[in-house]
This record gives sequence, structure tokens and C-alpha cells, in this order.
Amino acid sequence: MSLCVLDEDKFHLCCQLLLQLSEQLGDGWSWEGGQEGYLRKTALRSVVIDSSSVWDYEGEGADTSCPSRSEQQEGEQEQAAVDASADTDSIKGDMEDEDEDDGVCVASAGSSQLLQYEYHILHSCSYSTPVLYYRACTQEGRSLSLEEVWSSVHPNYRLRLQNSPLNTITLQVAPSAGSAFLHASPLQDGGVHASGAAGGSGPTQAGELRVVVAQCGGSCGGAGRPSEVLHPAAPCGPPRQHRARLTPPPVSVSITVEPPCTEAASLIRPSEAEGGLCARVLHGSDCQDPQTDPNPHLL
Amino acid sequence: MADDKDVLRDVWFGRIPTCFLLNQDEVTEREAEPYYLLLPRVSYLTLVTDKVKKHFHKVIRTDDAEEMWFEYEGTPLKWHYPIGVLFDLHASNTVLPWSITVHFKNFPERDLLHCPSHSVIEAHFMSSIKEADALKHKSQVVNDMQKKDHKQLWMGLQNDKFDQFWAMNRKLMEYPTEDGGFRFIPFRIYQTLSDRPFIQKQFRPVSPEGHVHTLGDLLKEVYPVALPNEGGPKRFQVVIHGIEPLLETPLQWLSEHLSHPDSFLHICVIPVPSD
Repeated sequence: MSLCVLDEDKFHLCCQLLLQLSEQLGDGWSWEGGQEGYLRKTALRSVVIDSSSVWDYEGEGADTSCPSRSEQQEGEQEQAAVDASADTDSIKGDMEDEDEDDGVCVASAGSSQLLQYEYHILHSCSYSTPVLYYRACTQEGRSLSLEEVWSSVHPNYRLRLQNSPLNTITLQVAPSAGSAFLHASPLQDGGVHASGAAGGSGPTQAGELRVVVAQCGGSCGGAGRPSEVLHPAAPCGPPRQHRARLTPPPVSVSITVEPPCTEAASLIRPSEAEGGLCARVLHGSDCQDPQTDPNPHLL
Repeated sequence: MADDKDVLRDVWFGRIPTCFLLNQDEVTEREAEPYYLLLPRVSYLTLVTDKVKKHFHKVIRTDDAEEMWFEYEGTPLKWHYPIGVLFDLHASNTVLPWSITVHFKNFPERDLLHCPSHSVIEAHFMSSIKEADALKHKSQVVNDMQKKDHKQLWMGLQNDKFDQFWAMNRKLMEYPTEDGGFRFIPFRIYQTLSDRPFIQKQFRPVSPEGHVHTLGDLLKEVYPVALPNEGGPKRFQVVIHGIEPLLETPLQWLSEHLSHPDSFLHICVIPVPSD
């Protein structure tokens, strides 16, 4: 475990590097709150919130058919093992970047709605890792209920998560905002992290920590699964014009995705499911020039 | 001298006499009588107020009843803080019973979390225990527990079963003798006048030189304003479970004996009443 802890100073260094990359990419991350602050980003997204949503997969290695609920349940464990590296699931994303998505969510009932997402990434002193919080509100300022949040969770994960309260989305106070947040507790099932450790390229020696932030989704690989199963992660693509049409976000219920706290915890790897264009930050001597990074899909 | 284990029992069975009053703006079919309860300090408002809801549902139109929430002197009460913390923070030094206003409409989305069921409280509670164990034992104890063990902790709290809870919770309180305490002390310091909900940092029970850290050491490190100035008047009270422990009290002892069931030591820093 001690190999992968990230203290607050290193976290701030990572954030500075990430902000430099973000500026190059023009993807809108900023720093808020002074010395004990956090990374922040807002995005406007079109998302289908409907429990009867049917999922379609277009990514590599995934079946293009839509499994029934019972099949989903049966194949849950198997799917969970695959998901970490499979380029499969992501909710249909931002309107102007739909074609960049790796997967789409097709609604059999209900319709898509425009939601305001706000992402905060801050340092957790308890887990010594970065934590991702996010909130989703309608254009009218109404925050999504827990049920609606669950409706946007990938069906493959929904049952498993709901049956396991310790490992699921819970209500918390966000230290950054001091208000109501939902929080996805760390999972202990390896998932992304095990996969990342086994199959990752690039340096993995002691002390290295990769903070990977999907360009918009802010995915930290939290909770042992691709973050977009917990929230509709933004697709990746060219720099967007979100900020021009943002309205002030209402303070309301938010969602957090937190990396796990076990040994594998801090080695945060992106899965290809995150959709490609991500900003990656290495700290200390392991920092690499983004231009020469061996994982071009990360950048 | 009383056995230290008696302290655990005293903390667990701490109660606050409370009077619930229906908000005057609620439309009722007849006058709503107040409802009185002895609230357990270590529990959560929404976990122990089903009877309050039932009582007031009798007099308001069912169609008008939205999610119930509580307020004290204009402050919405966060159900996800332990009841004792809410009282110490907002209502210390006031006359008992604690008078809480009950609302069934205009839910303050900005201030409160929704609590549609007890399972939401359970998830919050277990999440806190897990976070605390990450600090105390690098999560090793809570991860070694089985699901039924987690359930035992929750059911112990939910059903107010001291023995059931502590049979399992004692595992979360163990540490190697040679270490002299937990890895870090899970604590949260609350202030009434702050944008930040609470202060939480890593703090060890023993210094690198082997000195036992006290409550005063903790405050000096993370919140020195709470300590009295040399020779100056006392400005703040440092309150845990309604009492002001001596600042010389070892932090490890406080963590083992005065933590809430969620494994955190909740410390309220409140202004000294001016009288």
C-alpha cells in the first residue's frame, strides 16, 4: 500500500501538471479554493435517465446485442472482470461529440435530457488518494435523485452495487463544497486496478502514481470500475465550447467517485472504456513529456 | 475509579429529551400536538423519528406531505450527522427539551441530503466506518470482516443493541500494543461559523518521539483558534458527547471511548455562551 499513497503535496504537484495539459487541450479544468483547493470542471451533457434504458455496445470485444436483465445478472461477475479493459460502456454523451463515444445508451422509453455536471477532484486524507465528486442537475436547477442517478448507472453494475451498500453510492458531505454529495465508496474487487497493474504499460515502480482524468468524465477509475458506469462520462474529443453556454450550477446533490484505498488503490489506470482522449499526469521523476508518452490513447 | 468500559455504555445510552413541533405553515386538518422523544445521541435523526412522522401524518393532508425534514432555530438539521453532534453544535447551553421543528414541504435541497429509506443511512454509516478503518488500520480490519459482521454493526445501531454492536466494534478498536494506538485518529472537528463542514486531517496518537498526543495537541495542530490564549478569556468550548474533556486527555483514549458508532471522534467547537 505504501507504494501507492499520494500525499497532499504530491497531489497538488499532479494537479499543476494536469492543469498545464488541460490548458493545452482546452478541456476546461481549473483550480479552485486556494491552498487546500481542488480541480473543478463543468459540462453540459445530454443523458437518458430512464430505468428501462437499453444498452448497446459498439466497442471492441463486446457483444452488440443488448442482454436481458437476467442475463446481465448472471453475467455480472464475468462482465465485471472484463470491463476494466474492455472498451465498452459509456453513456451517450455530449451532443456535439456523440460520434466520439465508444458506446451509446439507447432509450426504449423516456427521452434524453440536458444535465449540468460539475466535477470536483480533491485529495482525501483518509485514503491518501484523489477523489472525484460530481453533481448532476437539470437545467431548472433540480438535482438528480438517487434513483435517477441509479437509472444512469450501467445495468450490468446496478444490481451488484445495490446489493452491496458498503461498495455503492452513498450520501456524503463534500469537503470542497460543504454540501450534499453522493459518494461511491471504494470497491475491493481489483477490477480496473488489478487490470491496470497487470496490463499497464509505462513505469509502475514504487512511488509512481498516475492520476488519470478523462477529459470530461473526470474518471479516476474509481470504485473499481470504469467511472462512466456510475455516471455518464463525457466522451472525448476535440476541445469543446461548453463553457460558453453554462449556467451557474445550483448547489445540490452531487456524486463522488472515489478510488479504492487498498494497495492497488493509488495506481489509477484508465481503461480504454474511458473513451480515448484523457489527460494523464505522473508525478515526481516519473513525469513524462506528453508528446513522447508511449500510450497515445491516453493523451 | 469506574471501569473505562462503563464509559462506552454511558456514551451509547446518552439521550437528549426532545420536543418535536410541526411547522406552523403546514396545512393541518386539526391542531398538531407536539411529540416528545428521548433521542439517542449516537443515532441519526431519520433513523429514530418514524414515530414522529406517523404522529404528524395524522393531522396533515397526506397529499401535502413530502419528505420530512427537521429544523432548529432556522438551521436545517443534517440527518447524516449524529444526533449528539447536531445538539452540541446548534443547541448546547439551551433549555431542555430540545425543540425541533418538523417540516413536510419546501425541502432545503441546498442544505440537506434526501433520506428516502433507512438503507441510505446504513450506506452512509458503513461508509464512515470504512473510512475510519482506512485511517486506523489501512482498512485491514473492516475488509477482513464478513458481510454479516458489517450487518451486525448496523443492526446494533439500528436496534439500539449495545452488546451486539460492541461485540463486533471491539475489533475495529484493536491495535498492536507496541504501536501505542491507531495509525491515525479518525476525527472531525465541527465549527458553527464556517463554510467548511468540518476539519479532518491525518493525526497520529503518538508523536515520532514517543510522546502521547492529547486533545490539546490535536487542536494546537489543526485548529489552534479553539485553544484559549495565554491568560486571555476562554472563547470556545471543545465539546464531545456534551462534555468538555480535559485538553490533557490522550487522543487514543478518546478515540477508543468517545468515538461515535461510525468510528469517528466528533468534536464540536462552539463559542462560550456570553450570558
